[in-house]
Formats: sequence, structure tokens, C-alpha cells
Amino acid sequence: MLGAGVIGAATAHHLARSGARVTVIDATGPSAGASGASDGAVSVASKKPGTLARLATASLLYTRQLAAEGVLARAFVPRPAWYFATLDAEEHALDALVAKLRAIDGPVQACADGGAALLPGTGAGVRRLVKISGEGHMTGYAATAALLDHPGIMRRWPDQVRAINPDASGVTLTLASGRLRVRTVVVATGLGTLSLFPGLPMRPRAGQLFVTDRGQGGHLPGALTAASYLIAKTEDPARLPEPPVVIDPLTTGQYLIGSSREDHGDSSRVDFATMIALIRRAATVWPALGERRVIRAFAGVRAATADGLPIVGHMPDAPNVIMATGFEGDGICLSALIGREVAKMALGDAPDGALADDLSALSPARFAPETWRDAWAG
Amino acid sequence: MGYTMNAKGPVLVVGAGPAGLSAALALAGAGLPVRVVDHAPAPGGAVHRQPLPGTRATGTREHKRAFSALMAKVRAADIDICCATGFAGLDHSGAALLTGMRAGMVRPRGLILATGARELVQPRPGWTLPGVQTAGAVQTRLKTLGTAPEGRIMLGGNGPLLLAVGAELCALGNPPVAIILAGRPFGAAGLRLPLAYQVEAARHMARLLAARVPIVTGAHVLAISQDAGKLLATVQTRRGSRDIVADLVGLHDGIRPNATGFSANVPIPVEQAGDCHVALGARAALADGRRAGLALAARLGGRGHGALPHCAVLAHERAAQARLAKIFAPVDGPKLADLPPDTILCRCEGRTVADLRNLGPDCTARQLRLTGRFAMGACQGRFCGDWVAQLAGHADLGQPRLPLRPVAIADLLTLEPDTPDGETR
Repeated sequence: MLGAGVIGAATAHHLARSGARVTVIDATGPSAGASGASDGAVSVASKKPGTLARLATASLLYTRQLAAEGVLARAFVPRPAWYFATLDAEEHALDALVAKLRAIDGPVQACADGGAALLPGTGAGVRRLVKISGEGHMTGYAATAALLDHPGIMRRWPDQVRAINPDASGVTLTLASGRLRVRTVVVATGLGTLSLFPGLPMRPRAGQLFVTDRGQGGHLPGALTAASYLIAKTEDPARLPEPPVVIDPLTTGQYLIGSSREDHGDSSRVDFATMIALIRRAATVWPALGERRVIRAFAGVRAATADGLPIVGHMPDAPNVIMATGFEGDGICLSALIGREVAKMALGDAPDGALADDLSALSPARFAPETWRDAWAG
Repeated sequence: MGYTMNAKGPVLVVGAGPAGLSAALALAGAGLPVRVVDHAPAPGGAVHRQPLPGTRATGTREHKRAFSALMAKVRAADIDICCATGFAGLDHSGAALLTGMRAGMVRPRGLILATGARELVQPRPGWTLPGVQTAGAVQTRLKTLGTAPEGRIMLGGNGPLLLAVGAELCALGNPPVAIILAGRPFGAAGLRLPLAYQVEAARHMARLLAARVPIVTGAHVLAISQDAGKLLATVQTRRGSRDIVADLVGLHDGIRPNATGFSANVPIPVEQAGDCHVALGARAALADGRRAGLALAARLGGRGHGALPHCAVLAHERAAQARLAKIFAPVDGPKLADLPPDTILCRCEGRTVADLRNLGPDCTARQLRLTGRFAMGACQGRFCGDWVAQLAGHADLGQPRLPLRPVAIADLLTLEPDTPDGETR
């Protein structure tokens, strides 16, 4: 298992549950990339209609099951969510959201649709609110830690993968610490995948997040998200009329406010102009924030693929190598399902029948063969 | 949003202590526009901290004279000093965020960090109890209010600051009930210190002796507990341990430079000046401030620069401080690793030694932050970072992130877009 983020942890967890011998290797350690620098919405509402929305629905149901079993009991928190509109364009996005959830007709429903009165405490300018039921929140690092905490998972970090050499009977990994012979390797290295497969059509997309201190007043029972966030998922972020702000109440009593979408991979890059723009809009729609202080800013870097879909499945010409990367911020939401299904792939078991088509849409085979050509050189 | 600004704003000097003011003078002398910001209500820094209006000033006459002379030069150079104004950091685009009285975004052409040293306080059981402060905080109170706190005051830890604060308490009429020093500084070695140091030490000691303040050397403040509205400090001496009753305990385990806010990842030149750069005290701060100011002026193409002057003062103070450190070398005491499990390490998030141990032996720095929640509070690890890293076997827990100090969201709501000279108000 290459990568100790939430996808790697979920896959390792399911492999270990099946009795497989599994070693997790990471250049740094658990949650070093996007899993440790993100909001943690387990959300269907924010997904593009189609494959991702269906997979997110299945993952939400399975995440609930893992929480009920105890594995994710402390990581997953069921809670409602609200989307707000202050502009015409955002109202249209809410119309589309309601229609999408009605079409899916799954565990996630638009359970209320109305004015600002739906959520006491919202500020002036909020024209319309849609309340979503059935979703939840899961902090990436908490889920990663919980999933890795399973007997039989061997850990190896910090260690670097220099080359992956598959053959008919298995894979030889060249690591900074030496060689390792394995039957199957799963590559869940997020953006780090680019150093192994430079031709992969994947690029970094950074997002700035801001954490407040604790305080009294303004109880927000779930995330409050601008409808422009839904637009940002499908359109050029530069064309948004207002920042796609998400106000997320943390279990600690703090707020997490996000997030920008920037085409670079520097997690140290935060800027005050973005902070002011996002915080101002957040405090306008949720005025209780005016009592708080921003104590920390950070950036998470998402791994964004050219077609907006994750890359999950056996490698063309190298079935002992399985990819599970390119989730662009949906990794926490999809982790439970993807971990289970990738573990099945690694063990040679058939996928969940209802999901087979959607999973095959994520196959690395959808990219041209030359994409992978440099991969085995090392 | 109108936040695109060119980097033509005045050089920003953070800290209006001797180092910052001295750097500002050097920059102004090179013909560069300068703005100094300080979070305190008046210039002076830790060493020349000014009393609140209507309060009697403490400090010696020569001390006041030195500061007056410095301020006269600053006024003559017409340097803009923004007090009650905090510096929240410089971002990768070159924008600096100021908070408080002169809140705004500015885009300085260069930056001097003269933010002073960090005061170390080692965690011990009870170090976060109400009534336990840093000795530096006690000194700040003495200087700003001009009065001593009421009740029994105990000072403990190590370093010359404890003797200085003890002497100031004597002068203000409430001598400490005891001063506990981990070192044994009262030997012949003190005679090898420069004369100015000896004169200062003699003045402090005269006050402490006249007030019969017990000074216990080679002793350690092991723990502090609370009992019926008073504090009980358990002190380990050569002859065993004993309890000292106090209403206020001032702790101090030394000072260190302070790299907070220093980043290579910014588009303008940055220099550090004074104690945040080399913790050598006020005499060196003036010289180092001038050095930093001239160095920045040279990098910005200011006029009249040339070779930097060889700085004898800095070398002299470095040697003196090294000798002082040797004189105060702690006699071996309790080890950090032996702290009881329920000792708080991170006071922002209330995380203990046991919380750290529960993370396992091979915990990464990232896990210490994310899962352990160490260095994730408002202070971003300024108090606990060193000790947590040391206990966990890491070099550090990572630099504090922006903003360098908490920023009130209410302040962000009132900022206006920028004005033509490259600043926002």
C-alpha cells in the first residue's frame, strides 16, 4: 500500500480485515497530504451528477455502516448541511441541487427549501436556503488514524518509492530503504503519484482554509455552504461572482472556513487577500463569526485529474499495480467505499455488482497508453 | 477586491524596541521611508516598556536617559511609529496584514523583524494554574503599572532576569518571598563579566540583600499546586524538597531568539534585528538593529551605504552573554522525560504528557499536530513546541502559520481596499 492518506488507510484496513498481509509505505507518515489539510464533508449534494454522485451515495451508506460497527464511530459525525444563495446565479445552482437530489432519491434529501428563517442566525442578504439531511462530516486525519488502527497492518515511514517494477508474478519495489517484493501494489499517493507517473494528466489544486478560535454564541449545527461552491465544482473558479465559501463548525467549537481553488501545489502559500475575501463573505452570512478570531491559515493541495474523475483500478498491462488516486478533495467522502472495492481488486474478488459500471469509469485504462509509458523506468 | 498593490510602501519595521528603532534610524538615514509598528501602546519594547499614562515610571535614570536620546533621534528623523498595532505576518505575495489601531494591508518594500526574544518556561505540574505567570509578564506589569502585585510572590526557574525582577519588586515595596535558581551564579566567575554587567548585578543584589530575600541556588521548582486559595510550590534543594507558599509565582527558564515570522518564501527582502535574531540584550539590540537596517538599506539600494561597520559591540556582548550563561549553568535537575503523565504541555488545547505518550513512539511531527493537537491553539506552539518536539524526538513541530497572531474577524470586516501609496486602512 503506497500512501498513508485516507484512501491508503481505508484500503489497508479492508485488506487486513480480509486476512491479507499488508504494509503501508509513506514518504512522511499518516495524513501528510490532502487528508490532513482539508474539510471533511461526506457529501452527495456537492458531487457532480452521475458517477461521482452515485459513488458518494454508496460510500456515505458504507461510512455509516463502518461508524455503526465502531471502526469510524469517533471519526464520522452525521449532521445536516445548508446551502445558501445571495445571488441569481446561486439561486439557479440551488434549483439544480434540489433537482439532482430528487433524481438520485437516495439517503440524502433536500429536506427544506426556503428563506433565511430556515436557519436562525443567518445574516442579511441570504435570499434562500436549502437544508440537506442524511450527510455527515469526517475529519480526514481522524478517519486515517482510525482505519490504520487495525491489527496486522505493517507501517513503514518515512520511506520513498523510487521505482515500481511489475512482472508476471508480482511487483518489485525499489525503496529508499531497499527492495521489497510484493504480490500487488496499490498506489494511493495523491499528488505524489506525479513523481512516479510524470505523464499522468493530473495537477495540483490548492485550497486555503482558515481556523477560528473557540467562542460562545451562533450555534451552527452543520456546514453552511455558498451555492457558488457548487458552481465552482463545474466551472472556472475565476468566473465566480462571489467566493465559494464553506463555514464548517468543528466539534471543538471552532469554525473552519474555506476554501479557494488555485492552480498550484504549494501548501505553504496562503494570502491575506484571499483570507479577507472568504472571511468577509462568511461573516456576512453567519454574523456570529464577528465575535471570533482567525488563529491559523493553511492550504491543502488536491490532486485534480483532467476529466475530474478519480483514477481507480488495475493498470493497463500491469494488473498487479492498482491505482487509487486523483480524488481532488473527494477522497475523504469516497474513502470507505474505495478502500473496500480496491481491497477486492487486490484480492481478485468481483466488485459490488451495482457499482461495477461506475467503478470501471474510473479505470486508468481511460488514459492513452503513453501516459503510463515512463512509469516503469524508475 | 482591490488588493493588488505594488511593493512601493515604506519599509515595515516590526517592533519599537531598541533594535527596531535603531534599524528604522539606519533606514531613514539611507533615505528610505520607514514605518514602525508595535503592539504595545507606546514605543520602548520589553526593556524600555513605558508606564501607562498617569503611572510612575520605574527604571534607573541612565536607563531613561538612553531611551530619551534614542527617541529624540527617531522624532528628528520623522519616523512614523504606529503603536497598539499588531503584525499578523507577510504573505507570499508581499502583503503584510496589520491589526489594531492602524489595521490594514500594506505592501512594504522591505521588512525588519525586531520582535524580541522568546521567554522559555519549562512545563511542570501546575505551571498553567491561575496565579502562575512568566517572570517576563510580571516585569511587564511592574513597568506598565509602576506597582508591585499584592500578596506573596515567588520567582523561580533560572537566569539573571529573575534577580532583576526580584530587585524591582523590592524597589516597589513587595520583595519576593523567595527566588529559586537552578544555577549557582554567586561565585568568583561573576568578576570576569564586563563592568556594566557587574554594576547592574550589584545594584540588584544590594536591593535583594537589603530586603533579606531568600535566594536558593542549585534548586528546582518541581511542581506548583493550589491549596485553599494559595499556591504551593514544591522546590527541590540539595537537602531535599520543601514547599513554599505564594499567591503569585513567576517562572522563567531563559530566553531564546524568535524566528516567528521569518520566511524565505516572500518576495521582498527581510532582516531580523535584535533579540529575535540573537538574544543578547538591550546593548546589543541597538547595534544589531543598526546592522540590520544598513543591511536592508543596501539590499534596497538606499543611499550612502557601503561596507557594514565591523560591530565590536555585538562581539563583546556575545562573549559576555556566553559567560553569563556559563555562570547560570543549571545544576542537574528533573528531566523533561520524567514529568508526571497528567502534566499539561500545550496550555491552549490542554494536552498532557499522557496525550503525547498515547500517540506511540514513532509519531511523526504531522501526527503530533493533527492527532495530538499540539501546537494547534492560538499560540501555535510558541510555548509548548520546543518541549513537545524534544519529548517526541523531533527537531520541531513546524513554523507557526499565518496569521502570526490571532486576527479578530471584526477587524477584517472594517478594512478598506487599498489606497494609491500601496496601503489599506
